[in-house]
Amino acid sequence: MAAIWHIIVTATPQIVAAGLKYTIPIAIISFIIGLILAVLTALTKLSPRHGWFSIVKAIAYFYVWLFRSTPLLVQLFIVYFGLPYLKVKGIWPNGIQLDPWTAGIATFSLNTGAYCAETIRASILSIPEGQWEAAYSIGMTKPQVLRRIILPQAARVSLPPLSNSFISLVKDTSLAASITIIEMFEVSQQIAAENYQPLVMYSLVAALYAVLCSILSWLQGYLEKRTSRYISPIN
Amino acid sequence: MIKFEHVNKTFGDHPALIDINTGFKEHQTTVIVGPSGSGKSTLLRSLNLLERPESGQYHFNDLAIDFAKPLNNKTILTLRRKTGMVFQGYNLFPHLTVVKNVMEGPVQVLKQSNADAKKTALDLLAKVGLADKADAYPSQLSGGQQQRVAIARSLAMNPEFILLDEPTSALDPELEAGVLRVLLELAEEKDSMIIVTHNLEFARAVADKILFVENGKILFDGTPAEFFKQPTQRIADFLAAMTFTAISDKANQ
Repeated sequence: MAAIWHIIVTATPQIVAAGLKYTIPIAIISFIIGLILAVLTALTKLSPRHGWFSIVKAIAYFYVWLFRSTPLLVQLFIVYFGLPYLKVKGIWPNGIQLDPWTAGIATFSLNTGAYCAETIRASILSIPEGQWEAAYSIGMTKPQVLRRIILPQAARVSLPPLSNSFISLVKDTSLAASITIIEMFEVSQQIAAENYQPLVMYSLVAALYAVLCSILSWLQGYLEKRTSRYISPIN
Repeated sequence: MIKFEHVNKTFGDHPALIDINTGFKEHQTTVIVGPSGSGKSTLLRSLNLLERPESGQYHFNDLAIDFAKPLNNKTILTLRRKTGMVFQGYNLFPHLTVVKNVMEGPVQVLKQSNADAKKTALDLLAKVGLADKADAYPSQLSGGQQQRVAIARSLAMNPEFILLDEPTSALDPELEAGVLRVLLELAEEKDSMIIVTHNLEFARAVADKILFVENGKILFDGTPAEFFKQPTQRIADFLAAMTFTAISDKANQ
């Protein structure tokens, strides 16, 4: 028992350090890029098709389909191990070689962006037509209506499902271990290989993920309360 | 002066407006009445292009629109800036406070400063009797109060015409009275209003002109005196169906 306690005490700081250095930054950066992609994709999918824009729309549909229909781990492998073999004369003579950090963030952003695009599209659709009409009737342009009236309300609606996506993403960053990023799970694998205590090590890292995600759940609750203030009258 | 000439609009196979010819003068209150589904809301919503008729001419002061041709965005925005609209379901922006709802158009569309827009907004809220609710959210107000904020919001744009689409149909009678009082006051100040309503008593009190619409056609276009005193058989039937006396008369027979 004392031995296990010793492992926990010495390994925890190393795993937490890996979390602060890789897991959390990768998750946050990927989610921000993913959200930007998601809003653009959602708006594209919601726009009417006409002329050259049909092509942009087709790309948006293809993008969401591709990243939701293939496993994230396979996507990571294609981007990190596969793309160096994509040799195109004049453009990429040596293939596309990304360092693990870039490959990871690119893949996680694209993957979470595809899921969040559907969330955001649905939340925009959930805002009543009357909000558009009221905003149009005071002379607003479509971008103004979106920015000032629709997206702020859609943000509140999409907060719970987006939080889901973010929490999933935090845990999915453990897949980055497979492309040599020394994040929380990779560190615990390395320690387990030294001390032959896989049960302890993997349970420990699971607990640390759980702590991280619990903090995020709490944050979600806090944000929901803040953004819903206008819904329930406070008298 | 607003004018519609030979305006037609269909929803799929269903003709919503058939060869509409009419005009609306400044400083007058026009009331549009008619049975449900008659096309009166479509007519009103065509005036600020929330609905787009397929053919016909539209004159809004010096602005001329041919509905058969594609509309450019600038014309649409100009026209909407010059008209205000009040909806049956209020459609206030729930995430903005009352005063911000009223300021939104002036600040975003007319590019007024926050301070100027706020001053005007507070004046308008006082006018509709809601000065003390400036910092409340719409969800904290009654339906009647929300509708009065919506009226203030449309007035804030200083529109040339105010379009009201059944502004009191969703309200209880005592809340309706508060909204009607505000509208009566606007009518007395000679604002230009076009109101779709089922409230005939109110129509009689404020209308300078009445349109009776049925099946997408204008069946009556004239003064309230003519409408109520010398109704055609169809209008007499409509008026009878709309009043309690008609029901109680039948009950007594």
